[in-house]
Amino acid sequence: MRTVSLIGVASYLPENVVTNEFFAPGAADRRGMFTAPTTRRHVRRDESAAEMIERASRRLIANLGLDTLRDIDIIFTNVTVPDQPFTGCGAEVAHRIGARPRWVVDLHNSGCVSFIYMMELARVMMTATDARGALLCNVQNAAGRVFSNAEVRLKSQAPVPGDGCGVGYLAPSNVSPILSVAQQCHGEYAGDMSVSAEDGRRYWEPGPSPISVAFSDERVASIISRGNRIVPEVVRAACDAAGARTRDIKLLITNQPNPIFLRNWREALELSREAHHDTFDRYGNLFGAAIPINLEDALAHDKLQPGDLLALGGFSHAGDYTAAAVVRWRAGAGLAST
Amino acid sequence: MRIADPAGLAGIPGLVRCEEFNREALGERITEMTHTVYPHDQVYGQFCTIQAHIDCPPDEVFAYMASPYSLLEWSYSVRDLRPTDTPELLVGVDAADTPIYCRTASCREALTVDYHCAWDQGDELWMVYLNRIVPAQTVLKRPGSVVIWTNCRHPYYDRNPFPSLNRVPKRAWVGEWWPLFYAGHSIELANLKAILEHRHRAGLAMGPHLRDAP
Repeated sequence: MRTVSLIGVASYLPENVVTNEFFAPGAADRRGMFTAPTTRRHVRRDESAAEMIERASRRLIANLGLDTLRDIDIIFTNVTVPDQPFTGCGAEVAHRIGARPRWVVDLHNSGCVSFIYMMELARVMMTATDARGALLCNVQNAAGRVFSNAEVRLKSQAPVPGDGCGVGYLAPSNVSPILSVAQQCHGEYAGDMSVSAEDGRRYWEPGPSPISVAFSDERVASIISRGNRIVPEVVRAACDAAGARTRDIKLLITNQPNPIFLRNWREALELSREAHHDTFDRYGNLFGAAIPINLEDALAHDKLQPGDLLALGGFSHAGDYTAAAVVRWRAGAGLAST
Repeated sequence: MRIADPAGLAGIPGLVRCEEFNREALGERITEMTHTVYPHDQVYGQFCTIQAHIDCPPDEVFAYMASPYSLLEWSYSVRDLRPTDTPELLVGVDAADTPIYCRTASCREALTVDYHCAWDQGDELWMVYLNRIVPAQTVLKRPGSVVIWTNCRHPYYDRNPFPSLNRVPKRAWVGEWWPLFYAGHSIELANLKAILEHRHRAGLAMGPHLRDAP
């Protein structure tokens, strides 16, 4: 079976920096699940997901010296608030970056862990075919598109999300082998988060209230408890599958819903603050884009040395998916087969 | 209807009551306080409370525990108990060669049995195991008893107050084992549960089953 590596990541953050004055009075003093980051980015009204992906991808393509026609056979996208309700943006992405992929998958599930989920799907596709490489694209744009609304921005959770785009490139290679991916679907939690409007309309129906994202109130304690538990579980499962111990993890990268989950996950995995890199205070909850963006930020801060064990992990929505991956960073000498 | 007199609480800092903390503020606080895992020392560092359900009626659990001689059966190493000149105070050996003094203080109505013990001397019984027996029907809607056992970290655990009474120079002081008390107490509570459940299930006399020794 071909070994597949996580070759590199790159990101794009919208220019619009939003401070806490934009939200309800006292937003900066909130604690717990609604701890506000100092800043976050919001997309412009006319800033499309495809455009964000293009910007991040061009950096990645340049950094890795990719030939987009030759090296990108697979494009995956996951976008929090799609540019269009019916179509995904993968086709437009391919056109913008000059690629002619055999497969384009606009993946709508697994939100905050979709980067890992896409890693696994791309890995399976590349081990089963002669595909040369996969571009994985995550866009979080709900902060500007949903939480900047004049009414919604006054809600407790509005200061937490931030927008950004992270992309990654996978290829059959021994450079930074993906040692394992663990993932679970917890269908019983699928109904605990919903997009809703206060006037009770469906999101596609016209009405006076803006749409927002809500967790069912009566399940909040259960969601917190499961969030605390399921992420360390899936990271342990990935480590077991990789034949590694959690204490061998040199760098843990997760999604970043709030500082409480971040603290609890690294405590449960007995990792130091330094071994768990996040950008929450700058960028807020980046949803699915958090993992590639945080990984690029960690690399820029020299958090990984050749041969180090990198673990990625997290959960989506109210816990409907968990996923984790273990990668031996820069284990090999060069791109073996790309 | 009765309500709390606000004057009675005036000037007491740090209270968390719904009049000052709305549900949102409470939510923030309890979320921060809730971790996935807790360091052992944070949980068991100053107080060690363990509990178990025992499938044996509360009055039988009480009668068994109220006899200090039951220690001969369920404790790991308290042996050879005999009376002293002080009424209700027994002396035996712990860990083979350390004198241990012990008496129980129990209240049938409250279903509490406290073990007051000390190594080496019987004048100041400072190792106190507080046990409360609760009818499981009341709290778990099932037969049997819930036993809650608390040990508080008396300062003597950290420093032997009577080192001159020690006859074995290399002996480790009992308090050296405090970090392992959760495990040690749990093993002994499991002994207690096993003994009581076995005798109750088999219809035997609850004991303690004793005989005279030379």
